[in-house]
Amino acid sequence: MLKVQFKTKIVSNKKICPKYFSLVLDKKFSKKEISAGQFLNIKVSDGLKPLFRRPFSISRFKDNLEVLYEPVGEGTKILSQKEPGEILDVLGPLGNNFIKPEKDVKQIVFIAGGVGVAPFIGFSDDLKSFKGNKIILFGVRTKEHTFNLDVFRNNGFRVFISTDDGSKGVKGRVSELFSKIDVNEKGTICYVCGPKPMMRSAQDFVIKNNLSAQGSFEEVMACGIGTCRGCVIKTKSGFKTVCNDGPVFDLKEIIF
Amino acid sequence: MKEINLKVKIGDFEFQNPITVASGTFGYIEKYMDDAKLRKLGAIVPKTITLNPQDGNPAPRIVETASGMINSIGIENEGVDSFIENKLPKLQKIGIPIIVSISGKTKDEFLRIAEKLNKCDIAFLELNLSCPNLGHKKLVAQDSQATFDTIKAVKEVSKARIIAKLSPNVTDISEIALSAEEGKADALSLVNTFWAMAIDIKKRIPLIGNVTGGLSGPAIKPIALSMVYKVRQVTRIPIIAMGGIMDYKDALEFIIAGATFVAVGTANFINPNAPLEILKGIKEYLKENNISDINQLIGSLKTK
Repeated sequence: MLKVQFKTKIVSNKKICPKYFSLVLDKKFSKKEISAGQFLNIKVSDGLKPLFRRPFSISRFKDNLEVLYEPVGEGTKILSQKEPGEILDVLGPLGNNFIKPEKDVKQIVFIAGGVGVAPFIGFSDDLKSFKGNKIILFGVRTKEHTFNLDVFRNNGFRVFISTDDGSKGVKGRVSELFSKIDVNEKGTICYVCGPKPMMRSAQDFVIKNNLSAQGSFEEVMACGIGTCRGCVIKTKSGFKTVCNDGPVFDLKEIIF
Repeated sequence: MKEINLKVKIGDFEFQNPITVASGTFGYIEKYMDDAKLRKLGAIVPKTITLNPQDGNPAPRIVETASGMINSIGIENEGVDSFIENKLPKLQKIGIPIIVSISGKTKDEFLRIAEKLNKCDIAFLELNLSCPNLGHKKLVAQDSQATFDTIKAVKEVSKARIIAKLSPNVTDISEIALSAEEGKADALSLVNTFWAMAIDIKKRIPLIGNVTGGLSGPAIKPIALSMVYKVRQVTRIPIIAMGGIMDYKDALEFIIAGATFVAVGTANFINPNAPLEILKGIKEYLKENNISDINQLIGSLKTK
C-alpha cells in the first residue's frame, strides 16, 4: 500500500575491502526523488529469519542505487551471500537528507566512523563543485576497514584516516583527527555519521568550538516510515523517529 | 460462478471485506501511503489515541525476537483533540470505515475521549483495555468487572459501536470475553500483544527500555488462534482477530476458527502490501473451494 515499495535486481554485490561489501541495485531515481542521507529498508530474507527489514544508508545514487555495508549481523550476512540477478524487495528512498551548505560556508568536514562513511560517498559527488576547504576524517578499526577513497579525492576532499590499531593513518579514534579542522573558520559545517560514542565525541567537539553540525543516526527499525514509532532518539524537542524525522538531525539537538 | 461475496457485518454495519490493520501498525496517514490501494481495505484502525498527548517510552522501544517483535512504544500520540483536528479528517477522506482505537488511564478518561469523538461521525470505537486499571494491580482487560464497567460506561455515552480489545495475558480469555459481551460490546478484538522480554547477555541489560513489552508477529499466531477459537465456543459476538497474521493462510485459519474480521499487524512493517495480498489470497481460496460467500467460512471449523 506504499508508493515507495519496489522490487529490483542486484547488479553486483561484492567486497570492496576485506570488511566491507558494496551492493549495486538496478534502480535509478531522478534528482528530485532522492538526496544524500536517505536510506533503504531492504528485505534480505523471504522467510521469517530475520523478520524485520534492514535499513541501509544509500551510499551512491548518481547512476544505480548503491549500498555500502559490513556483514556483521544476521541480516547483513544473508545479504552478503546474494548473487547478481537476484531480486530484492526494497522500501525507499526513505527519511530526510543532509542539508547542503549555505552560501557563507567556507569549510566542509565529513566525520565518518566505520561503515558510517557510506552516505558521504554520494554526498561528496553533490559537493564536487564547492570551492572551499573540504576534508573527510575517516576512523576505522583496522586497515582492513579502509577501501579506495579516491572517490573523495576526485570530488576535491582531502582524506585523513585513523585506525584503532594504528595499522593505517593515525593510531586511535577519529577524534585524533579533529585537529585537521580549522576551528577558527566559523563558516564550517560538519557532517557526522558513525557509532554512538563517536557521534557523542563529535557533538562535544562542535559545541566546544561553536561549529554547525548535522549527524546521521541509526537505531533498530521495524517499519522505516514513521508508523511504528519504534526507532526513536531523544532530542531537545522530545522523541523523534530516526526513520522519518531523521536519520539526519542537528547534532547539537541530540541528547545522548 | 457468480461474484464472490466478501462483505461482512458487525451488527448492522456492513464492511466491503473483512481485512483491516491492527492499531499501532498503521499510524495515521503517512506520506508514503497510496490512498487508492488503502481504499480496498475493509476498514482502517489508526494508532491508539489517549485523552492527553503522550511522549511514549524510552528507547529502545522495539527488539526483534524469534519470529516476532517485542515493543513498548508507550502509546506515543498527540492526544484526542489534535487527532480530531489534524488526523481524522484525512483518514475519513479515504472513504472506508475508520475504527478509532482509544485508551484511557481511568474509566473517566475513556468517557471523555468517547464524548469528544461523538461529534465526528465514527462508526466504531475500539477500546484498548490493555491499560493499567488505576488503583488495581491488574490491567482492565485482566479484570472481568473492570472490563464490564468500562465497556458499559462508554457504550452509554458514545454514539459509536464499541469493540473491546482484549489482552491475552489472562488465565481464561473467554471469561473476560463474556464480561465484555455483557457490557454490550458490539465486537471483540482478539488479541493484543503478549507480555515478553529479551536480554542482552553481554551487558546484562533488558533489550527494551521499559524492561518488558508486548510480543507480536508469527511467534504468537497459534496462541492467538486458540484464543479466538476458545471465545467462539462461548459466544456469538463478532470477533476481529489479530496475532501474527502474515499471509492469507494465517488469515483463513482465524476466519475458520470463528473470526468475522482479521487485522494485519506486524506484517505491515515487513511487507506494507500484506493486507492487500491477504485480501487477494482469500478471494482466490474462496474461488478455488467453490465458496461464494465468505460468511460461509466464518467459524466453519470441523471438529469431532
